[in-house]
Amino acid sequence: MNTIRGVSKTTSIIIAVVVILVIVIAAAIVLTRQPAPTQTTPTPTPTTQVVTKTIEKTVTQTVPTTVTTVTTQVTTQVITTTTPVEKVFIRFAGWSAGETEMKNYEKIIKMFEEKYPTVEVKYEVITQMFHENILASYGAGVAPDVFYLDSSWAPIFIEKGALYPVSDLLGKDFLDQFYDFLLVPFKGNDGKIYGVPKDWSMLMLFYNKKLFEQAGLTKPPETWDELLEYAKIITEKTGVPGLAIYLGGFNRYMPVALSNGAPKPWFDSPDDASWFDNPVVKETMAWYINLYLKGKVEREKQGLPPYVVAPQDVGAGWLGDAFGSQKVAMVISGNWMIPFLADQFPDFKYGVDWDIAPLPKGKAGRVTMAYTVALAINAKTEYPKEAAELVKFITGKEGQRILVVKMGHTLPSIKGLEEDPNMWPQHKKSLSFVKLYDHIQIFLWGPKSGELEGTISDIMASAMRGEISIDEALNSMKQAVREMFGG
Amino acid sequence: MKPKPFSQLSSKPKRLLEKKKYREALSALLLISLAAGLNIVFGYFAMFFAFYLSFFKWDYIGPMEFVGLKNYEVIVKDIIRGLSGAFYTFAPFYTGLRNILLYTAIVVPVQTILAIILAVFANQKIKGVQFYKVAYFLPAVTCPVIVALIFIWLFMKNGFINYMIQFIAPGFAPDWINDKNYLLYAIALVAIWGTSGHFMVSFLAALQSIPRDVYEAAMLDGAGPFRRFIYITLPLLRPMIVYVVVMGLIGALQMFDLAWVMAGSSGGPGGAGYTIALDIYNEAFIKLRPGVAAAKSVFLFFLIFITTYVFQKKYRVLPR
Repeated sequence: MNTIRGVSKTTSIIIAVVVILVIVIAAAIVLTRQPAPTQTTPTPTPTTQVVTKTIEKTVTQTVPTTVTTVTTQVTTQVITTTTPVEKVFIRFAGWSAGETEMKNYEKIIKMFEEKYPTVEVKYEVITQMFHENILASYGAGVAPDVFYLDSSWAPIFIEKGALYPVSDLLGKDFLDQFYDFLLVPFKGNDGKIYGVPKDWSMLMLFYNKKLFEQAGLTKPPETWDELLEYAKIITEKTGVPGLAIYLGGFNRYMPVALSNGAPKPWFDSPDDASWFDNPVVKETMAWYINLYLKGKVEREKQGLPPYVVAPQDVGAGWLGDAFGSQKVAMVISGNWMIPFLADQFPDFKYGVDWDIAPLPKGKAGRVTMAYTVALAINAKTEYPKEAAELVKFITGKEGQRILVVKMGHTLPSIKGLEEDPNMWPQHKKSLSFVKLYDHIQIFLWGPKSGELEGTISDIMASAMRGEISIDEALNSMKQAVREMFGG
Repeated sequence: MKPKPFSQLSSKPKRLLEKKKYREALSALLLISLAAGLNIVFGYFAMFFAFYLSFFKWDYIGPMEFVGLKNYEVIVKDIIRGLSGAFYTFAPFYTGLRNILLYTAIVVPVQTILAIILAVFANQKIKGVQFYKVAYFLPAVTCPVIVALIFIWLFMKNGFINYMIQFIAPGFAPDWINDKNYLLYAIALVAIWGTSGHFMVSFLAALQSIPRDVYEAAMLDGAGPFRRFIYITLPLLRPMIVYVVVMGLIGALQMFDLAWVMAGSSGGPGGAGYTIALDIYNEAFIKLRPGVAAAKSVFLFFLIFITTYVFQKKYRVLPR
């Protein structure tokens, strides 16, 4: 009797556990499943279009309004009814460069919601590993409707059909306001634009005016050779390393290559490894690696002070830190360094203590690197029109005045804001360099730009430390490209 | 009066009792279900999905494509290539495997021995022993990422650690973090510092459960403190040593956080701080090959499973 009851009890427990698990799993499935796409074709029944959104179990709010629906039937008729229209929810994901940026975005979103009362925007901040998170959310089927997209990640998303062609919705007039080189990375093979740049930054030369004076130098270097020469002079006269660069840094090397006449980089097949066979690439790569190898590693072996260092060699976390603490005289960095210097080193003043200059010239002209982030729309969004309006609102002139110009973190991607009174003088000066460049290379060289950047930088760093020779490094770079594209 | 035995109770209270028991079981199930449900969705489901994924090619956005053992082939090729001496970026898995084995071989024995020594000291009746216990245990309750960040400063070329070394070995001042010959040792040192205190507590508990009379008998027989330690303490600690080594192996073989902070995602100079866990991450989110990443995870699982299983089989004390 007891044993029978015991068995039945254990069985009932097991059954209970299974039931609970089924409920939990079913709940999880229901919560994560996307709703079926709403029909867009006009239905013959005289119902009004009801827009719903159930992603993430959001409670929909109802706002009673009068809606006019036109139904295309055999006998076309206009029906006017008063029904509750449910709000449209748009999920917007971005990273954040700090609390001010987040607050500004919240402000802009509030303005947008006031203009479009039926749309509600859910602003989500993903602070770490943004694109990895977005990819994972695509995998899970819960990707946001509008999100940031870095130029180097753009081809991955475009090729896989993950993005909505915004040029279909925004029109030529709107897109023509942007710097055209910023749109290039977001252009698909079909010629459509898949992202609207929200801002951008470019590389420039930051130099310490006081150290230049002490070294008897009156103006920033004009050519790459002069840059190296100046670095040596400064170290000799002041004892401070003349130039700081990162160990590795394929994208930092790129302006040197392109300004000396190297072909524009594009890697998407094993044959593209031949880029590293180009004599200009070989020569400039050796020059760039030697900056550190000869300027730091070999100098220290001889017991001499280095004229080129990496930030960590002077106890700094990154170039901005090294330059701001005046441990080096020159660095090549982007606009993001400007607010950092103003914030972290308020006594180190722009115009008095330091200044910016365009990147030095090479044999074939002047080239810089640009970095841009766009707003992209999920191809599977239910509300492309509303999403496009949001993109337009944020990246338009008025949006950029608040989010970009006033913030002073980056440069506006839309033309015509150069003379805005709120524009920081440093950024304004850097924008004036644009016309000096023969080419502005966006950080994008094929569908695997990020991976390639990492691998080639690792190889460059090994060669800079003297662990492998420059020839070995070039061969390894070729092998890396061949393997990445399946050769 | 003696209480009636259970079987002799009248049927009414008996049924009440059953009802009570049933209720108890139900509430227990309800309380467990949340944790169990979460564990199943995020633990077991994720594990089985990873195993399933390791046979597929996927890019997160498009559909999954069955590729059989192709993902495992990537691992084998990587190891073969690494053994034949390829540059570290071309054999990332081999680099990670080699590093993690060396790291484990350093960290696990040292942290275990150090934990025993610390526990023996903490078990003495010395004044202020409580302070030492807290001091040893403090690293175990500190976030490893913060610990690693602090150690980066201590390990700098002109940092505190090199300053202290000058008194012991003048002239020896490696650039710990930026030199490929020292990076892994620097990481190992931080790991040992962080985990020894944690395992000390385990040993302390085991030490306190050793009966005093065994020691007293040994003392009567004339055994000194050293012999008592070798012939009594260590053998009686054996089950705990096995436990600590197994836990240490599991932790060390899947080390990620310290390498990520101290060496960076690409493993630092010469890939010296690259680990299998970092490689799995890079495979999944930089190279965007979640299938290969899953296959590497399965490999790591079997590596951990086999090492810990063999170790337990060999050294476990069978219950008498």
